[in-house]
Amino acid sequence: MAAVRTPAERTLNRLAIVSVLLVTLIFLAPIYWITATAFKPRNLATTVPPTVMFEPEVSPFVKLFLRRSQLREAPSEEQYAAAPWWEQLVFDGGEKVVRSGTGEVRWSAYPDRFMNSLIIAVSSTVLAVGMGTLTAYGFSRFKVAGEQDWLFFILSTRMLPPVVVAIPMFLMYRVFGLTDTHVGLIILYTAFNMSFSVWLMKGFIDEIPREYEEAALVDGYTRLQAFFKVVLPEAATGIAATAVFCFIIAWNEYAFALIMTNRRAQTAPPFIPSQIGSGLPDWTVIAAGTVLFLLPVAIFTFLLRNHLLRGMSFGAIRK
Amino acid sequence: MTTDVITRLDPQSHAAKRGLSDLSIRNLFIIPTILFLIVFNIFPLLYSLYYSFTDFRASTNAPANFIGLQNYRELLNDPFIWNNFVITAKYVIVSVAGQVVVGFGVALLLNRDIPYKGLITTLLLLPMMLSMAVVGLFWKLLYDPSFGIINYALGLGTFEWLANPDMALYAVAITDIWMWSPFVMLLSLAGLSAVPKHLYEAAAIDRAGSLYTFFRITLPLVAPILMIAIIFRTMEAFKTFDLAYILTSQPTTEVLSIRLYKMAFQEWQTGRSCALAYIMLIVVVAITNIYVKYLNKVKER
Amino acid sequence: MRRKIAGIVAGIGLTLASGTSALAQELTIFWAEWDPANYLQELVNEYEAETGVRVTVETTPWSDFQTKAFTEFNARGDAYDLVVGDSQWLGAGSTGGHYVDLTDFFKEHNLGEVMAPATVKYYAEYPGNSGKYWAIPLEGDAVGWSYRTDWFEDPKEMEAFKAKYGYDLAPPKDWKQLRDIAEFFHRPDEKRYGVAIYTDNSYDALVMGVENAIFSFGGELGNYETYEVEGYINSDKAVAALEAYKELYQFTPPGWAKTFFVENNQAITEGLAAMSMNYFAFFPALLNEATNPHAKNTGFFANPAGPDGDQFAALGGQGISIVSYSQNKEEAMKFLEWFIRDDVQKRWAELGGYTCHAKTLESEEFRNATPYNEAFYQTMFKVKDFWAVPEFAELLQQINQRIYPYIVGGEGTAKEALDALAVDWTETFKKYDRLQ
Repeated sequence: MAAVRTPAERTLNRLAIVSVLLVTLIFLAPIYWITATAFKPRNLATTVPPTVMFEPEVSPFVKLFLRRSQLREAPSEEQYAAAPWWEQLVFDGGEKVVRSGTGEVRWSAYPDRFMNSLIIAVSSTVLAVGMGTLTAYGFSRFKVAGEQDWLFFILSTRMLPPVVVAIPMFLMYRVFGLTDTHVGLIILYTAFNMSFSVWLMKGFIDEIPREYEEAALVDGYTRLQAFFKVVLPEAATGIAATAVFCFIIAWNEYAFALIMTNRRAQTAPPFIPSQIGSGLPDWTVIAAGTVLFLLPVAIFTFLLRNHLLRGMSFGAIRK
Repeated sequence: MTTDVITRLDPQSHAAKRGLSDLSIRNLFIIPTILFLIVFNIFPLLYSLYYSFTDFRASTNAPANFIGLQNYRELLNDPFIWNNFVITAKYVIVSVAGQVVVGFGVALLLNRDIPYKGLITTLLLLPMMLSMAVVGLFWKLLYDPSFGIINYALGLGTFEWLANPDMALYAVAITDIWMWSPFVMLLSLAGLSAVPKHLYEAAAIDRAGSLYTFFRITLPLVAPILMIAIIFRTMEAFKTFDLAYILTSQPTTEVLSIRLYKMAFQEWQTGRSCALAYIMLIVVVAITNIYVKYLNKVKER
Repeated sequence: MRRKIAGIVAGIGLTLASGTSALAQELTIFWAEWDPANYLQELVNEYEAETGVRVTVETTPWSDFQTKAFTEFNARGDAYDLVVGDSQWLGAGSTGGHYVDLTDFFKEHNLGEVMAPATVKYYAEYPGNSGKYWAIPLEGDAVGWSYRTDWFEDPKEMEAFKAKYGYDLAPPKDWKQLRDIAEFFHRPDEKRYGVAIYTDNSYDALVMGVENAIFSFGGELGNYETYEVEGYINSDKAVAALEAYKELYQFTPPGWAKTFFVENNQAITEGLAAMSMNYFAFFPALLNEATNPHAKNTGFFANPAGPDGDQFAALGGQGISIVSYSQNKEEAMKFLEWFIRDDVQKRWAELGGYTCHAKTLESEEFRNATPYNEAFYQTMFKVKDFWAVPEFAELLQQINQRIYPYIVGGEGTAKEALDALAVDWTETFKKYDRLQ
């Protein structure tokens, strides 16, 4: 970015700041609304007109972790008084806590699903970005027969509508015993993200001047050493951006998670919207599930923000 | 584009003796990925191709009969399917154009001295971090003429975003633009920050107008990475399903993927849905091919 | 020596046998994600206490239920031992070989009489009148109506209504009254609207809504035995019914173009509509003040009659079937034997399940248990259903494509829409060799 010099430029810059803030506010408004819903009492989630001011409460987050079921009538006063605070919150929402045959409180599937999501998204991101970076380097620096065709093939693996791939994929997974396993979803998401990873990383690595490696090779580095010690650090920005995207896509994938997995390995996205209960969805719990589920990606992105933005230092000596 | 292996190592040198040869590195880096993708995709591709020529239904025990091109012929003669194509095309154009304008525009703004840039960028990326299903559910609420905050905040009364057949597709596109502009923005930003400062300085010394600077310096340098963003967004928009499916059920928003989903998973017309998938694949391949050609041209500049 | 070997072999056989039966101490039932599934889990907990067999009710969101179940069936998956499937699935489930034939079980336990006749006909038998059974009716359901008693009983409203329409304001007896009341309460300026109906065409919601009208107007979708549709689905009665449904659409709240049970319940809880169509299974939420601020002022009525006095309602609900790819079929059979016991069915109703058990249904206790059980009981004897043939989803898609643009988009006429539909359906039945 150019340093600000003249008053005219200064005004322009101020204008830019104001516009950026404005755009940010517009983009965040729906997210604010979801977050606000996550702190609303259940009866204020959908009102006519919508409720803007309210006293925030944490009950949606408590309910998110409990298996609940609709009550046709409010519990008796003694029953209510005897219940622990978290159960009272559930009563307030017109529901009761589901207990097992032996009387233990039943947890909702959310914590398990959340962990599954973490394991699967992290592993597949590491794999996709790792393999993608190597492949991108290979295509960027070496002569490959039919290079354009191979690259297009890689891109094309993302073109078939997932709906149609789902059926044969499911049959294939069943044969290999991969349905309802973490490994199955990890492989699947790695394959999904591979084309994106290769293409994006190739874009970044193409921009890294070869002079850098040449200098390293002349200094006595092997090709591999040059790749790890010179190219990779230069490509950090690209790797960070690619990782963020791959993580987001694996984290939120819905259709295949639904079809390929059942109890053991299912991720959170199919679970979150399913708070239908007895014909009235609890929007506050859906919102709470969404907000909690947004946190890991948001944090991951925030940690990588400087990489995302640092820019490519080699730009200056570009040919 | 890459044409030559850079600085071939002298086979007699120390470096060459210590490390792997360039050839084995190339193979080691590329072949596993290609093999993985082939193994992973070949079965679904062949399966779909084979059944697209049959009347197979996955939900029955009846054997599949080979019926040649009948599925393709019937699909291409079905006015409902053509309508689905037109809707999809409209959707892709509106939504991708919107994402590029908004995303690139915001990137240009952000590519200045903005305080808290890292935080702002992260916040701007939040929409694309949500799952499609959740975005669909909540935007349906936001758009609702009775419970929705959009009409309430903008004073639009009972304006019908999703129930109006002419508006619904644009409403879906707006949601898509909201969700995915950040993607275009981030890639553009990466491209923009790579534009060497001295080029701007040179332009400033030459007293070049800002429009000139933008079209002659900024845009050409950002174009390759912007093109990648556009390629991926076009492919995704063409396959779009969740948003349109959750938000509305207007005939005017029935994009191809929705029709395909119903055909494959509700009606279980597996053979016919495979044929439709292949028709879609051919279209996407054609469009992407044009993009990629253009991308290569841009890169050669 | 030989005897010894035989002994060893037998021993291994025994260990293997006991090994498999040890594995079979667990059963998985697949259903949609909703409260009745929670009630069922509570019920089967009692089975575990009684027999030691652990039964898990596994669920998936309604919108994905069909997809998930059939993907599993089509791949001959054994993830589920039993499935609580929609009535329309019977054709695909039975002819596709996914369901175990329960005809003998049915006869042995005389279920044709133990369960309410309509539920047996629609949840269990396929093809119609064949005497072959594939499921045990588990959750009975049909479409009913909820309404705002405080609006209906407001003396001022009652007076104004009588002055305008010439008869007393009360829950509608027929579709004409339904329309009048909807029109009467439709006041967009006050943000009050007449009626909430189903309009979502992504699966069967809109069709279920329209069926209520068609069946009560005396119309039919077609001849369920000969598969003739011409002259049935586009009969004058069916056309009049579709027109009546379209008329109701103009009295719905704004943006009512993709609505199903969630939106229709919200229409009552948020005070938007005077009357709302919904499945009985979704009414419990309307009784609790915590979920419905108007709980005290919410009443229920059965689907009103048509102009000729016919009164029918669209069927919901599910039967439970054994998945033929299950490894635990015998254990599943034992579970069903337990499930149909009189005391278990009574318990099922107490927990909140909509039993199809005739004796339980008829009991005073059941009929008075909730404000809508009486309406439910009445409705369950006059229900009709959509086609249950394996290609029902194609028929569904075709009817959606024809009637949605008419009802919501206001395109063409009811006659045009249904004539076109008759052609579509005839073609489809020809394609599957049901018609010449």
